[in-house]
Amino acid sequence: MTRKDYLQTISKSKKPFIIYKSEKGFDLYTNFSKKIILTKNNIHNFVNKIDKKSKNKKTDLYIGFFGYEILNNLIGVKLPRQKGHNFPKGIFYKPETIIGLKKELKYENTNFDNLNDKFKINISKKSYNKIFKKFKKKIKLGQTYQIKICTKYKNKSKIDPIDFFCRLAKTNLAPEAFLVKDRNFSIISCSPENLITKKGSNISTKPIAGTLKKTKRLNKYKALNFFNKNKKETKEHNMIVDMERSDLSKICETGTVKIFKEKIVEEYKDLYHYVSLIGGKLKEDISNLDIIKAMMPGGSVIGCPKISTLQLLNAQEKESRNIYTGSFGYIKFNGDMRFNIIIRSILNYKNFSEISVASGVVVDSNSNHEFNENYIKAKALMDLYK
Amino acid sequence: MIYIIDHKDSFTHNVIHQFAKFDHVECDNFDKINIKKIGKAKVIVFSPGPGAPKDYPLSSKIYKKFKGKKKIVGICLGFQQILYSEKAKIVEQSKIYHGFQSKIKVISNNSLFKKNKKFMVGSYHSLKLKEPFYAKNFEITMRCAISNVAMAVENNIDKIYGFQFHPESFLTKNGNLLIKKILST
Repeated sequence: MTRKDYLQTISKSKKPFIIYKSEKGFDLYTNFSKKIILTKNNIHNFVNKIDKKSKNKKTDLYIGFFGYEILNNLIGVKLPRQKGHNFPKGIFYKPETIIGLKKELKYENTNFDNLNDKFKINISKKSYNKIFKKFKKKIKLGQTYQIKICTKYKNKSKIDPIDFFCRLAKTNLAPEAFLVKDRNFSIISCSPENLITKKGSNISTKPIAGTLKKTKRLNKYKALNFFNKNKKETKEHNMIVDMERSDLSKICETGTVKIFKEKIVEEYKDLYHYVSLIGGKLKEDISNLDIIKAMMPGGSVIGCPKISTLQLLNAQEKESRNIYTGSFGYIKFNGDMRFNIIIRSILNYKNFSEISVASGVVVDSNSNHEFNENYIKAKALMDLYK
Repeated sequence: MIYIIDHKDSFTHNVIHQFAKFDHVECDNFDKINIKKIGKAKVIVFSPGPGAPKDYPLSSKIYKKFKGKKKIVGICLGFQQILYSEKAKIVEQSKIYHGFQSKIKVISNNSLFKKNKKFMVGSYHSLKLKEPFYAKNFEITMRCAISNVAMAVENNIDKIYGFQFHPESFLTKNGNLLIKKILST
C-alpha cells in the first residue's frame, strides 16, 4: 500500500480503523490486535491496567472513546433508563499500525451512493421552549448556573464515512477531528475541543465557550472585541474557566493550577472560538482513572455546577446521548493521554445516523435563539448528506 | 487544620487550593462529615454550592454546634448558610450575575478591611440576603457597588466571616490576601 491512496485501500479492505488529527495532518490507526468494549464493570480494570512495561513504540497505546453514560457511571451520577439503540458505552482499540497522513486528505468514491431519509428532530420547538423555561426557573433558584440541553437529529442512512470525513476536513479542519470506522458503526467528528492533554506530570485543558461565525467584516481582533463586550458570552466563559480550574485542582498540586491563556480568540476556517488554556502539575499519587473522573464529562458541554446539572439533565433527557459529550482519545502505555470532547459529531450505527447538539441556558439566554443555534450547529453536519 | 464542607460544587477545589496556601486542609461532602476531623479543625469553611441553605439542614446543624467555638467561614451558599442559620431569609434576586465580575465596597468601620476600599470580585449567586437583617454581633461589611446587595458579613466576636462573592475565583483580584487576613485574625 502506498500512502497516497491509503484511504482508498483501507476502504476496500473493510478493516476497522481510526483517523485522528495530529499536529501536522492526521494519524491513521489500524490493524487492531485488541478491541475492548467497556462496561460499568470492566472500565476500572481497563484504565488501571494499561500496560506500562513496553512504552517505546508509537503503537504502545489504546485509542477509543468513552460514551456519556459510562462517564456518569464512573462518577456515581445515576441515569434513568433511556431510549437508545444499545450502542456500546465505550470502545478502545490496540493498534499495531500507525500511518501519518497529510493535512489534505485524498479520497474519491465513485461507486457509492449515499442513501438517506430526511432528518427528524427529537424535541419540537414547542417542547424545547418548555424545557428551557423550566431550566431558567432552576437557575433562578440556584440549582444550576448554566445547563446545556441536548437535541438530536436522526435519520435512516447508509453513508461512506471516509467520504464524509474528508469533505468535513476540507471545510473545517478542527484540531480534535477524528473518524472511527468499525464493522457496524462509524463516528465522524470535527470536534474543536481538547479536554485533556497529559504529558508526564503536566496536564492541561482547553475549554471553548463562545463561537462566532466568520463574516467578511470580522477579523480576529474584532471577534475578541465582540466576545469581551458581550456580557452573556463572557459570563458563560468565566464560569467554565473557574469550573475547569476546580476540576484540575482535584488532581493537581496546590498552587500549580494556572490559566496559561485567558479568554483568547482562535481562528478557524469558518468561525472564531473564545478559548482559554488552563493547566497544572499533577499530584504524585494520581492515576489516569482519577484524572478521567475529575475531568469527564467535560464541564463546558454540561453546565455548572457539574453534578447537580448532570442530575437535572439526566432527569430531563429521555434519549441516550450515546457518544455525545463523551470523550475520544488515547492512553499511551507510558501514561500520557490526549482526549477531546465529542461534539459536532455523527454517529452512524446500523444504518441510522444521529447528530446531537446543545447550547447553554443561562439566565439571560433566549429560547428561540438557542434553538436556532442548535440547528445551525447540526446543519453543518447534515449538509454532508446532500 | 482547616475543614472544608463541600456542597458538591464545581468550585470547591479552587477554595481548597486557596486555603491550602495557609494551612493543612481537609475536605468532605456535607453528607459525609467526619466528626473526628472536624473536632480537630481550627477553622470550618462552608463551600459554595447549588440550591439554597434550606436544602442543607446538616450544614446548619454543624454551624450551630461550632459557632463561637471555632472560626467559621462561608462562601456564596456558605455565606447564605451562615445567615440562614442566624434566622435570615434568603431570597431570589431579580438580576442574576453568574460569572460576573463586579466592584464591591467596604462600608463599615468595624470590618477587618479598610472602609471605602474597593475590590473587583467574581460572583455566582442566584439568591441573596433579604434585608433588613439583624443578628447579634453580625454586621454587613461589604456591598456591591452597583446593586447594593450584601456581599460580606463579619462577626468579629465569634470569628464568623461570610462572602457572597467568590474569593477563589480568577475574577477576584487579591482573593488570597482576603483569605489570609481572615485566617490570621
